[in-house]
Amino acid sequence: MIDLESVGVAFDEFTAVADVDLGIDDGEFVTVVGPSGCGKTTVLRAIGGLQEPTTGRVTIDGRSPSVAQEAGDVGFVFQQHTLLPWKSALENVVFLRKMADKPPDREGARALLETMGLDGFEDARPAALSGGMKQRVAIARAIHLGADVLLMDEPFGELDEITRDELGVEIRSLWRRERKTIVFVTHSVPEAVFLGDRCVVMCDRPGRIEATFDIDLPGPRDTESLGSGAFQEQVAAVRRTLHESYD
Amino acid sequence: MTERISVAGSGAVYPVSALCAGVALWWALTALGDIPPFLLPAPDAVVARLAGNPELYLVNALFTLEKVVYGGAIGIGAGIALAAFVAYVPWFRRAVYPYLVTVRVLPKLAIAPLLLIYLGTGMTTAIVFVALITFFPLVLNTAAGLDRTPTAHHDLLRSVDAGPIERILYVDVPYAIPDIFAGLKQSVTLAVVGAVVAEWVVADNGLGFLILMGSENVRPDVMLAALVVLLLVGLALYGIVVLVQRRVHERLGLETLD
Repeated sequence: MIDLESVGVAFDEFTAVADVDLGIDDGEFVTVVGPSGCGKTTVLRAIGGLQEPTTGRVTIDGRSPSVAQEAGDVGFVFQQHTLLPWKSALENVVFLRKMADKPPDREGARALLETMGLDGFEDARPAALSGGMKQRVAIARAIHLGADVLLMDEPFGELDEITRDELGVEIRSLWRRERKTIVFVTHSVPEAVFLGDRCVVMCDRPGRIEATFDIDLPGPRDTESLGSGAFQEQVAAVRRTLHESYD
Repeated sequence: MTERISVAGSGAVYPVSALCAGVALWWALTALGDIPPFLLPAPDAVVARLAGNPELYLVNALFTLEKVVYGGAIGIGAGIALAAFVAYVPWFRRAVYPYLVTVRVLPKLAIAPLLLIYLGTGMTTAIVFVALITFFPLVLNTAAGLDRTPTAHHDLLRSVDAGPIERILYVDVPYAIPDIFAGLKQSVTLAVVGAVVAEWVVADNGLGFLILMGSENVRPDVMLAALVVLLLVGLALYGIVVLVQRRVHERLGLETLD
């Protein structure tokens, strides 16, 4: 359970985030959507302990984020893949677990890469991988860490749309399998609706939560659901909220 | 494999030909021109000088090498250590870095006579001078290299509560490797320059001293012979750095650009 209690973050005179209240249950998939500069990344960094809130507090299962970090319970995926260029895909996946002082599990990492469509690329260096593959390795690295909480900061931001859709479907099925708590930040409304069971809409000046949508789509989510009427309606509803907040 | 060798072979044809042409021109100048041999001896006279007394050149080459190795090791070690302080201690960086950059314009050679007064005419002066001259390229390149890690990598390590030592060893240092080698290549060249200048100032031994003596006695053949040995020493040192760089870059999967 992740709990944000009236969290505010200010940098000097600038208020990035004001008074954010948010509770996320174990195993929930929550997306945070909003325009650039609305503080969505700041909220994610506050959850993960990379940004100390100026006011309010964040807890992960009742612990402060820094304690959760120490236990290796926070798995980050960034917009940049942050793979080490001199390590193979497999070594990159294992590396983070090692840095978290957890016992190594090469076989587990190998199997994970295989299930993520990277069969045969375990020993390839990042330079030999496509953008989508690099981000797959970065996601595998976060899962292999064994954290209960995955925090994703626009992980598909630098990928083309087709790869984004593909990875989106994969993240969903991965989430069903692994039962992690996922907080996923994006500025793409369709992505936020497609991925999340709950979609948090943020607005800027100051960064705050404008609305929260429960996303209910019939059937398993795959590329087909992107064309469904229910999906389109939800996307339209979220868009409306975003635009109304600026009128 | 055969293809690679033939490519390497054809690549060497041009520089080797140019070298032969250069030596031939030198020889022609001495044989056909009206230059007295005490001003410009023929190439074969220089070779004869080297072959006639190899011990003299070898012993002095070892003296020079000693200064290069000890001074270089101190300068490089100190340079990397100071670079670490510059990279990781913010107040130290702000206080010192501007001066490190400014001092680059100072011709370090001009410091040698001053060292002579402070440290005397022994080996110490030469070693300190070589250390000083090799120090600057290392400090600036290494400090820049240690800054090269993308900030998102630091966030990643912070997110699993990895300490600064782990971050520096496993991420920052590998990122800095190409810059460290760039610094080493400059330093190793400067080390030989520094040793020769120190030998002129201190005038105790070494190839630089041999050149100085050759000049005072108007013996260009001795000077040229010493220069040839000096060139070989410099090339060997530079070659070692390039070889190590290749091996390390290969292991890290980095491109070796030169």
